[in-house]
Parts: sequence; C-alpha cells; structure tokens
Amino acid sequence: MNNSLRQKLEATFKDIQVSIPEDSKITITAESDSVPAILRFLKDAGFDHLALLSAVDWIEDDCFELCFILTSYMQNDDEVTGRQRLHIILKTRIPREKPQFKTVIGIFPNAEPYEREIHELFGINFEGHPRLTPLLLEREYEIPPFRKDFDTRKYVKDLFDNIPFVEIEEK
Amino acid sequence: MRELELYFGPQHLGMVGNFSITLKVEGDRILEAQANPGYLHRGFEKLMEYRTWIQNFPMVCRINVVEPDSMEMIYAMAVEKLAGIEVPERANYVRSIYLELARVGSHLFGLWAYANMLGFDTVAQWAMYHRDLVLDLFEELTGGRVYHIYIWPGGVRRDFPPGFKEKVVNTLHSIGGCVPDYDATFFNNRLFYERANGIGKITQEQAKQWGATGQTLRATGMPYDIRKAEPYAAYDKVDWDVPTREDGDAYSRVWVIRDEMIESVHMIFKLLDVMPEGSVYNRVPNPFKWKIPKGEAYVRCESSRGELGLYMVSNGDDKPYRVHFRTPSYPNGLIILEKLLKNASIADVGNIMISLYVVAPEIDR
Repeated sequence: MNNSLRQKLEATFKDIQVSIPEDSKITITAESDSVPAILRFLKDAGFDHLALLSAVDWIEDDCFELCFILTSYMQNDDEVTGRQRLHIILKTRIPREKPQFKTVIGIFPNAEPYEREIHELFGINFEGHPRLTPLLLEREYEIPPFRKDFDTRKYVKDLFDNIPFVEIEEK
Repeated sequence: MRELELYFGPQHLGMVGNFSITLKVEGDRILEAQANPGYLHRGFEKLMEYRTWIQNFPMVCRINVVEPDSMEMIYAMAVEKLAGIEVPERANYVRSIYLELARVGSHLFGLWAYANMLGFDTVAQWAMYHRDLVLDLFEELTGGRVYHIYIWPGGVRRDFPPGFKEKVVNTLHSIGGCVPDYDATFFNNRLFYERANGIGKITQEQAKQWGATGQTLRATGMPYDIRKAEPYAAYDKVDWDVPTREDGDAYSRVWVIRDEMIESVHMIFKLLDVMPEGSVYNRVPNPFKWKIPKGEAYVRCESSRGELGLYMVSNGDDKPYRVHFRTPSYPNGLIILEKLLKNASIADVGNIMISLYVVAPEIDR
C-alpha cells in the first residue's frame, strides 16, 4: 500500500519528495503552497485523522518547519487493518522572516488549537484563522518563547533577579 | 433575558483541575463557551531542550499528574526508536502489566472525580480507596507512589520483587470483587442514569472531525485503540477486546471506562500467566554520554484517555532538539468541550467536562 500511495502522490503533485524510511511510515516534503492540496488529497485517500500539527525552529537553516502527522481512523467499524498502523509525516518549510502560513481549519477542524498554540509559541501567523488569541502563556514576550533564540535561563535570570530583596525586621 | 458572562473555574466547586471555562449564558442556557487552559503551563517541551536525554526521564512523567506511566512509555519508545535500542522480551510483558495497572489506577481516579462531582460520595471514596491499593503495588515495585520513573530505554528499572505476582492478583481480585457494588450504587443507579443519559452527545462523524480518540470515540461505536492498531509492548501477545458503546453520550463514555477497567484486569491476569523468564534490562552504553543519531520519530500509545503521541527530533546532539506531545485531552478539552457546551445548561458543565475525561496538566504541558 505504501508504494501505490507513493506513486499516486508523485503522479499528482510535481514538487514533492516522498520517502518511506520504515515499513509503516511515509515522509513527504513539500512546498508550503501545495500543502493544503496535499492534505485534501490525503484526507480523501482515507487519512482522516490529523494527530498532531507541530513546528520546529531550524535556526541554522533560517526557517521553520511545519509538520502534519496524519493517521487514519477505522473505515469499517469492526476491524483493524494495516492502514491504521501507517502514519504520514508531511513537512514543509517556511522562512523565518515574517512567517506566514494558510490555515488548514477548512480541511481539518481539529487543527484550530494547534495553530493557535504554534502562533503563540513560535510566532507563525496563520492567515484566515478565526481567533489567534493567546492560549497558554500569561505574559508578553519579545521573542516567541519556543524559538531557538529565546534563552529560557537568561529570561528567568532577568525576570526574577530584578525583584528586590525584602528586609524582614527582627522582633 | 439578559446575557451574562460567567467564569466557571479554576475556583469553582464544579471544576476538577486547573482549568477554566468562560461561559456566555442567557438564563440557564449556555450560548457560547470558551476554554481557557494555561494554568498549569510549565513549558516542559522547552525545558526538555535544555536537558540531556537521560535527565528528561524524571521530567516527562510529571506532564500528566493523573497517569504518568504512559508518558514514560512514550518517551522511552521514542528514544529507543531513534537510538535503535532493543528491549528484552520479558521487559515488554512487565511494561504491559505496569501500564495496565496504571490504567486501572487512572480510571479509578477518574471515577472518583466523576462520582464526586455528581454527588455520589460513597462511590467516590471507594474508588479512591481502590486506587490507593494500586498505588501500594506501584510503591512496592518502583519505590514511588505517584511518579515512578520505571520504564527506561532498554527495558524497565527492576524486575518484579519476590511475591509481587501474587500481590497483584490478590489486589485485583479484591477490587474486582467490588464491581457488583459499584454497579448497584453507581453504574446501574437510576439517579446516575438520569443525570448522564443524553448529556454531551456526540456522533461518530463529529468525533472523527474533531480529532477525538479514546473513550470519546469508542463510546460512538468505533473500536479504535492504539493497542490494537499499532501494538507495542506485549499487547499483541494475548487476546483481549476493545469495549465500545453506541450512544456517544456521557453515560456511554462512563460505561466504556468501566468495561475497560475490567478488560485491563483480565489482560493483566493473562499476561502474568504467559510472561517469560529472563532479564528485564538490556545493558545500554553509559546514559550520561548519549548522543542520539540525527532523525525524527512519531510514536504513539494508548493512554487511559486516548491517543498519546510524541513527535521528537534529534539533531545528533546530547539533548533533544524538539519534543512535542500529542495529548488526548487536547482536542477533548479545547474543541469538543466548547462545541458540546453550546446549548447545554449550567448544571451540566462539570458533568460534560469530566465525562470527556479532560485533564488540564496534559493540555498545558
């Protein structure tokens, strides 16, 4: 099944690289513009569960990598097939300067909180997202905190070392 | 009628855990709900980038307070996959037994929360007592009651102590002996049925669309379980069933949880019977000097709430480059909860939330 899917993908989309590093795993690397079309294609091919949407900051290559992990629910209600074992990792790179990406909520509605989280932690803007409001964090940060150039230890030192000591008087 | 904004949690009697929901209500009816996570955000994924592979082990289990064991398992699985470490046969069985014990403990804790919230205090106290018996087993096996740090890459930390097998069997028999009491006072109780039937109803199509896994999905009739779909540890070595229900409401979800507990107990008995002898730990190179080859891995396991996944990237260094946990409560608490609360009544907010099995620390990480 892996190979037939690979052939179909390569026939439909021109600028993608498909690799099968393991038996039950397919990795697809694509340009960011063609990602929605690929996601739609994969969803129609039965990969209807977006398990995770993640981002990686490759600071040395000066880009962010968005990573969609797709698996499939059961089609008939009572049997597990080899299909449920398979998972697809779809990766795309976007530039670190002014990172923009088109929202995929229209294809996978459960991407909504993931995109919100990535917007907050990496500063990637998802065009067309209905509410990119803060999700987990409490303070404002100059650099989004999950980027590699944000130094957690320095931030903690700057924040908490500036709190003055309180003199407690002896009674 | 006038529209009001109502803050439900984190300081609210109906709220279990560090989580809050902003409700827009008109009378008793909810017009709109907004989930607010983040009260327990500790930035684990970022902190893990600063620590070596082995230093992260005591940390991952703290992500989910209620069920730390699946977190250990998934981290060990990811490290083993990236580093190519083999696990001995007996360790796989020990892992499965340990994870099923954790599932029973976690479900009992969930039952405590649910029964307590609905006012069934007696059942809640029983569940807490029985969970404590499971924790006693963990204490004997690992030395810790809540956080165990037991599963390591290459196996588990130590073998079963002498007489442990009998203790597991005795404890599970004494918990199982109370199932008729639980049924009579809680699961088959008319009061509970009236309170939970038809509440928070979700169809299979909606569940798939919103990324549900675990009980939320299985209560709609789909026997989707990672332990069957992509077996890990020793789950493919014994025969067991995936309990399902058809209705998709709170009542069905709680029954799935009950049936799952019983199935887990049976599975532990079967695994104990066929468990091979041998070592439980493969010697690995000095963990303090690990450099794990470049690569990425997505691994998943079935925690007591659904699909728990871990996406891990290594750039060949002594620390992980990026880790991202896919926790089952994330879609449950942030999407499904908001959708189901629309048009519900205020009295059912806690009911719906706990029946979806939302655990706040898992969402926040």
